Amino acid sequence: MSTRVLICDDSKIARKQLARILPTDWDVEVDFAEDGQEALDMLSSSVFDILFLDLNMPVKDGYETLEALQSFEQSPAVIVVSGDVQPKAIQRVKEMGAIAFHKKPASAEELRSLLISLRLFSVGDDQQNKVVVEQPTAAEQFTLNECLQEISNIAMGRAASVLAEMLNVFVKLPVPTVNILEVSELQMALDYSVKNDSCSAVSQGYVGSGIAFETLLIFSDSSFPDMAKLLGVTDTITRELETELLMDVSSVLVGPFMAAIGKQLNIDFSHSHPLLLGQHVKIADLINEKKATWKRTLAVEIVYEVENYQISCDLIMLFTEDSVPTLENLLSFLVEEDE
Amino acid sequence: MSNEAEGMADLHWMFDMLHHIDVGLVVLDSKYRVKLWNNFMENHSGVSSSIAKEQSLLALYPELDTGWLHQKLDNVFGLKTPIFISWEQRPHFFPFKSYRPITGIANRMYQNVAIRPISSPDGSIKNICLVVYDVTDIATNKMALSAANQKLRRLSQALSK
Repeated sequence: MSTRVLICDDSKIARKQLARILPTDWDVEVDFAEDGQEALDMLSSSVFDILFLDLNMPVKDGYETLEALQSFEQSPAVIVVSGDVQPKAIQRVKEMGAIAFHKKPASAEELRSLLISLRLFSVGDDQQNKVVVEQPTAAEQFTLNECLQEISNIAMGRAASVLAEMLNVFVKLPVPTVNILEVSELQMALDYSVKNDSCSAVSQGYVGSGIAFETLLIFSDSSFPDMAKLLGVTDTITRELETELLMDVSSVLVGPFMAAIGKQLNIDFSHSHPLLLGQHVKIADLINEKKATWKRTLAVEIVYEVENYQISCDLIMLFTEDSVPTLENLLSFLVEEDE
Repeated sequence: MSNEAEGMADLHWMFDMLHHIDVGLVVLDSKYRVKLWNNFMENHSGVSSSIAKEQSLLALYPELDTGWLHQKLDNVFGLKTPIFISWEQRPHFFPFKSYRPITGIANRMYQNVAIRPISSPDGSIKNICLVVYDVTDIATNKMALSAANQKLRRLSQALSK
């Protein structure tokens, strides 16, 4: 009988990529779920042997899924495959019953040796049987949003891991959102995420291979006391100290994030020195609608939160409109290479 | 010319460029000893490269707040990611005089500093590099602008009363 495998990830690219790199000489039947709830529904109606589980998903994330699985009489062997490589995330999922963790994106060889070491698959299992996975056809197109979301997802995990190491905390990761926004819409989106609090922001420009974008890191001002506490600063919080905290956190969040994006796109970006855009300002003042010479921007937004602390910051990548065709082209290569 | 001589010539102009670029370059090893101290650093600090080399940066500049700098340098080594220091948080990282002592407004040079990890061929981080930018003009302009804005605000408040 074939092994029944369920791949649960909100990203279509990640699901396909994982299905493609399963050992080709493995007799498996593969099903897919788009979020934790869908996976749980499928697991309660039929029996699966192995569940590959992503952590950052809408509706029900990986942790909630693992928790729900604990009350299942017959639950599959769970292998977490995630971009969130914080040591605490790995430790947490293992405590919750996952038998293994693998970082995203996984390669076929890595996955093969992991499956062998877990005794879930052995060489020469049955060479006759081939994996019954519908191979993606050329007609199957991934949208720019899907590609961008997945590479941001991986980069976000890397950045969180560096921040977590510096602060010795657990950083909660959301699902990155990708949108094409008009100037006014961007203001609205920013307003919504920071609510009524005043904020401080750092901007850094990136350019390379015909792609230009800006990263904005926006802190709500209520985050400063806890951030100072975490960095072991005992002095009273002055404006200079706030700048110091901003620059430090922006360095460790944006740097590794961009390194991971650059690595995936194979671009060595040039970048500007980070610029303090504003301190204690209304978010609407950061982006001046009247002065803006651009009309639309491709925006990737990630909201980082630190567990048990009142710290939240918004990392936004804003691509110029003329970068979009180049980016689309590059990302399509990225997807093809995986096939 | 042989390949080797050509390689030497390439290295020569590259080194010449690094030395004379109008940006401060300092390379440190894991014990913060100076491995490279370019012309910009020599001329603005008055410390020659031969004296700076092999000395600890902290010995050269005891006035650099050591705890603060240690933490920054160690973070770059440990986290393997560049860390940026803006003139707004630390206006004068190195105590240099302004480039234009006569017509310039500022007496001391405002600096942006980037501390970057340098990876060895095996991927480990054994050295880091400090890149020092002179941003005196930007800083003085920005400060003058915000002072002017404050003055305007005060004036308009006084008028409306």
